[in-house]
Amino acid sequence: MQIKVNEQTIEIFAGARVRDVLRKYSRAEWTLVQKKEKKVSDSHGHEVGLDGELRGGEELVIKACSPAEPRS
Amino acid sequence: MKRALSAGPVLRLLLLALLGIFFLQSCASAPSATTGLSATSATTGSTREALPTESSAPAEASATSATTRSSLTTGSHIVIFHSNDVHGKIDNFAKVAAILDAERKSGADVFFFSAGDNFSGDPVTDLYDPPGEPMLELLGRLGLNVLTPGNHEFDYGMGAMRKFAARFPTVSSNIEPQPGAFPELRPWVVLTAKDGTKIVVFGVIQIEPDNKIPSTHPDKVKDLRFSEPLAKALEMKKLRASGQVLIGLTHIGHEQDLLLARQMPELDVIVGGHSHTRVDPAENVNGVLVAQAGSDNLFLGRIDLLLKNGRVVEKKGRLIDLSQARDEDATIKAMIAKFHQNPALARVIAKAPMEITGKSALGNLMTDAIRQAHNLDIAFQNNGGIRLNRLPMVITLNNVYTLEPFGNQIVQFVMTPAEIRSLIKSSYEKRHEIDLQVSGITYIVRIDSARQVKDIKLNNPDGSPLAEDRTYTVGLSSYIASSYKFDHQDPGRSLQATVNEDLIRYLQSGVDLGVYRDVRRAFLEKAVESSQH
Repeated sequence: MQIKVNEQTIEIFAGARVRDVLRKYSRAEWTLVQKKEKKVSDSHGHEVGLDGELRGGEELVIKACSPAEPRS
Repeated sequence: MKRALSAGPVLRLLLLALLGIFFLQSCASAPSATTGLSATSATTGSTREALPTESSAPAEASATSATTRSSLTTGSHIVIFHSNDVHGKIDNFAKVAAILDAERKSGADVFFFSAGDNFSGDPVTDLYDPPGEPMLELLGRLGLNVLTPGNHEFDYGMGAMRKFAARFPTVSSNIEPQPGAFPELRPWVVLTAKDGTKIVVFGVIQIEPDNKIPSTHPDKVKDLRFSEPLAKALEMKKLRASGQVLIGLTHIGHEQDLLLARQMPELDVIVGGHSHTRVDPAENVNGVLVAQAGSDNLFLGRIDLLLKNGRVVEKKGRLIDLSQARDEDATIKAMIAKFHQNPALARVIAKAPMEITGKSALGNLMTDAIRQAHNLDIAFQNNGGIRLNRLPMVITLNNVYTLEPFGNQIVQFVMTPAEIRSLIKSSYEKRHEIDLQVSGITYIVRIDSARQVKDIKLNNPDGSPLAEDRTYTVGLSSYIASSYKFDHQDPGRSLQATVNEDLIRYLQSGVDLGVYRDVRRAFLEKAVESSQH
């Protein structure tokens, strides 16, 4: 299935979770997400969990946590 | 009450002012403002109703008592707390209990919904004997009113699912069981608030596009059939007349919830799950409030509904960050502490004639388990995913979870020998050493003096070369599948099982563990280079 991450199309196995797609997209970005320096949202701006289950065609956005934001 | 209704415009203005105060306040501090609005006349708490049939639904709605009818004309306040994708994480339930209890004591009409996937993801719940029992007990104590099954509710098998459904009203309209397979399941349920307000709740579960079943192992749902969730949800428009509130309790992911909201304005609320999305505040889409509370019991969703004249006139939803909650229910906290002392983790599941030591032997064990569980030709496990150097002779569940603590899933690819070579080459080039342990074949990576790969030989276990003109089913952990770069025409698919699950099953099968001495199946060999003159 195809998932867009920061507007880049990633081809990933069916049944992949958010963490799988991020690892495939960029090792560096994945590391920053693990360190909670960046967070992942859907195309509507809602934060998603790393074990979130995906459907083909969905979009993810990786962005930096703002300083005031709790790193949950 | 009649006097209030006939008091005319002045009282109506006062009521509207009070409504304004209520919704300007934080929902968490709403109870004092709601007391005057919720003209509760019923004396009992929230009760379950028998299901309305399609033909009986309007009759039931019209059978509302006179007392109830009068309360519905003034206005009532309903609070629905909700969680989803808890995945076995029980620690914050003491905080959830305190929040629910405080709200109930305030006199508010409180409900608690689960949008699925309570199971799978934490050994405290997953490995309990019987599996899932901590979740069952805790949700019972919390007073769960209704549940829709998520795909992972089936992970422990139908026995555990049915036990859950026998305890809590369980709704899903797109699950069609074979006769007798899941008699506890209902397509929808009607909950009745203290003032008689009827809340109709139907459920739907996601299905995968290719096999049309939820994302779980197919064996777990073999006695069930599934229809398209959105199409089935749209059929639930017929329930609109059966109550004053219509709620879709879904496990289809936030994107699908948005699609449903756009197509079904008859809904008041969608309480969703599956995509682990933190929807805060809840979104109003096409007049439908769409909510979802993240995952892992980190947040509790709260929806406030204000009804007047038998319909919802105001609705809001937000998430409560449980890390910021301070109060805990002492009884629930004690239960959680007890569940953490899970004796199952120390349970012996196998005995070996010797310690199983080294990456090769442990990798052989893990990949054999994966290959056998899914009847694959070949399985690979990366060294970095083997987190123990030895398994003791007496092997416990805890040892397995220490050996592979990541909960990686198994992903199947259909691959050619050339593609398998590209995977092995990529793995070698990470650290210029053997990285992938294997079952089903042996392999030799031949390198030159500059440590560059010259060729890779793939052999069957009997030493004969692998047939180059056919494809092989190959099992990889989800970590390898997503982070290693290799050629593959087949995009692959998750087999909805974890390495741990396969390993536990393999160890419990009584297999001869004496074969797992440090016997290597993957080799690095320096190619002999001819000198050139």
